[in-house]
Amino acid sequence: MKHLLLSAGVVLAASAAAAETEIRVHYAIPTIWAETQEALAEAFMATHPDIKITLDGPAEGYEDGVQRVLREGIAGTAPDVAYVGLNLWRVLEDRGVLQPLDDFLPADPMAAGYTPALLSLGQYEGHQWALGTSASTMVLYVNPDLVEQAGGSMDDFPKDFDGIIELAAKIDALGDTVEGVWIGRHDWRFQSLLGAHGGRPMTEDESDITFDSEAGMTAAGLYKRFAEDAGMSSMSENDARQAFPAGTLGLFFESSSLLKRFEEGSAGNFELAVFGTPVVAEENVYFPTGGSAIVMLTDDAEKQAAAWEYMTFVTGPEGQKVIVETTGYAPANKIVLDDESYLGAYYAANPNAKVGHAQVAAHAGPWYAYPGAEGVAVTDLIAAALVELTEGAAVEATISDLADTLRMQLGMK
Amino acid sequence: MRNRALTDLVLAGPAALVVILFIFLPVAVVFVLAFTDYQVGARSANWIGIENFATLFGSRQGRNALLNTVVYAGIVIPASVGLGLLVAMGLHRLTDILPRLSAVLRTVYFLPVAATLVAMAVSWQMLLHPSLGLINTWMSVLGLAPQQWLSDRGLVLYTLAAIGIWQSVGYNMVLFLAGLATIPTALYDAAAVDGADRGWSRFWTVTWPMLGPTTLFVVIVTAVNAFRVFETVATMTKGGPAFASDTIVYALYREGFVYFKAGYASAITVVFFLALLLLTALQIMLVERRVHYR
Repeated sequence: MKHLLLSAGVVLAASAAAAETEIRVHYAIPTIWAETQEALAEAFMATHPDIKITLDGPAEGYEDGVQRVLREGIAGTAPDVAYVGLNLWRVLEDRGVLQPLDDFLPADPMAAGYTPALLSLGQYEGHQWALGTSASTMVLYVNPDLVEQAGGSMDDFPKDFDGIIELAAKIDALGDTVEGVWIGRHDWRFQSLLGAHGGRPMTEDESDITFDSEAGMTAAGLYKRFAEDAGMSSMSENDARQAFPAGTLGLFFESSSLLKRFEEGSAGNFELAVFGTPVVAEENVYFPTGGSAIVMLTDDAEKQAAAWEYMTFVTGPEGQKVIVETTGYAPANKIVLDDESYLGAYYAANPNAKVGHAQVAAHAGPWYAYPGAEGVAVTDLIAAALVELTEGAAVEATISDLADTLRMQLGMK
Repeated sequence: MRNRALTDLVLAGPAALVVILFIFLPVAVVFVLAFTDYQVGARSANWIGIENFATLFGSRQGRNALLNTVVYAGIVIPASVGLGLLVAMGLHRLTDILPRLSAVLRTVYFLPVAATLVAMAVSWQMLLHPSLGLINTWMSVLGLAPQQWLSDRGLVLYTLAAIGIWQSVGYNMVLFLAGLATIPTALYDAAAVDGADRGWSRFWTVTWPMLGPTTLFVVIVTAVNAFRVFETVATMTKGGPAFASDTIVYALYREGFVYFKAGYASAITVVFFLALLLLTALQIMLVERRVHYR
């Protein structure tokens, strides 16, 4: 007995000596991330025995998560690193709780797999504040059965919005309960269409709204055309996400992160196909990228070094491989895409995933967050304006009004 | 004497301290925050006077949320109190004839109250789905046009109100049943002697006055719950489409927890709190005058 206790003590002492630095990690959305986070922490600690990763109890969603990190920041109990929504890390940056990563980044980020497009996801005012950990852009999900019933062809699938609207109208005409096309009336979807037309929501220095440009009008006009020419219904996002796997929606512009869910939902019903969002403009095309980023909060130099080790790991090829395989999100590191030894087998088994992931690598761009206190609030105004467009409001007037309202709310005028 | 005062203090003190620390103090903080532009996590805040309140009552969005809440409550309060009373009287009568059936129906009506609304919201969402939902399937069988129950701007608030009624009728029914059970039969006999022996006159001269206290309680509880509507909005519509189902408590949540505008959210809380306080006081004053106690 004494011997046993003694050896237990030795083991404890040994593990305490080895686990010198503890890093507390915050993450959100356990339904997607719980298993992934545990796998990441385990894999990291296996190769870094001197660092102990402690996962905080996850927050329900990214908004909740940011709230909690801010609250803990006030109380002085903030985590050392945190996973936050790609559109929300700016809130943390604005409150001054983030540590800039410029000094930690390797001299040649490209060699580590961080392309300029991927780095742009976490940059603001010339500093690197966050690193993407998982990415998604808007793709087009297609129900091939409905396309063929409507007389379309999967081999000769339309490459532009005109062709898509024409096809959607034909699918919509198939029956009362069949919908042709659907896209969320939502800031991120609008920014995606805008980027496909080479437009930007704001000027580079964020001093003015620019989506009332010609590109913006054409992009917003698509909402009206979808509704008027292709009979797009006003159903909610949840409704559409049920309708597509159930086989009653033909074409669906949605986040590439939903692929796994749609494939599972439609299994045995039909075999869905994925296409990239049509690229309209010749240049300046980008797709706003959703997903998550990792940020550093600790100001303790020793912890920072350990935290950076962890961040390098999860944004590096090995961590990214785990994230892609368990969540279906696109990787935020180019090495995993280029080097087949990481995900070759995964893409062979999931050809649809490659479409979305390639789109990220080629056109990833920031999901613009509007600056200031009203930044999140105005995205709901954008959504409301898009609803009005689908209900017949004039494009020019609605978008110009919206741009003026935003300038006023954001204090740009 | 001093000893007794000490005992009283020891008995009531801890609870009072807890209430002050964890309820009154935070409420006071909210009242102060309501006059600032504080943002969650910010290091500082500016005193901006009544600007938050001006925004709430002056902006289109603020007024829209207030109006939606009033419309919602205006439908839900009378409908769920009225239906609750109707169902309770029916079941009360049925107890004498078919006690088993009455008990089963009672449970059925009470189920929505016992079930978690968030879980129920998922079922409602499926029922109301525009192309896959059971309700639209029935509508087309009956030859009616299918509706976008939760995504039509003109309809969504009424759909939510219907769900609100469905949810609260059972609770009101139980309260009314308890009220009905306490009415002494002697009163009905006496009324019968005076000629009020059936239907409307019986209800009007005995049942309704005797239910006064119950009705007062039911109306207050229903009103408070109706003005507080949140779960159905948050789970089914998120205030949309285009703010068509934005209500005051959802706006409070949205501003504070999604937009991180703690100051403005506090202002909404203050207005909401005062409005409910006023409403409750008014109801008690008005109805108490007419309530027939014992």
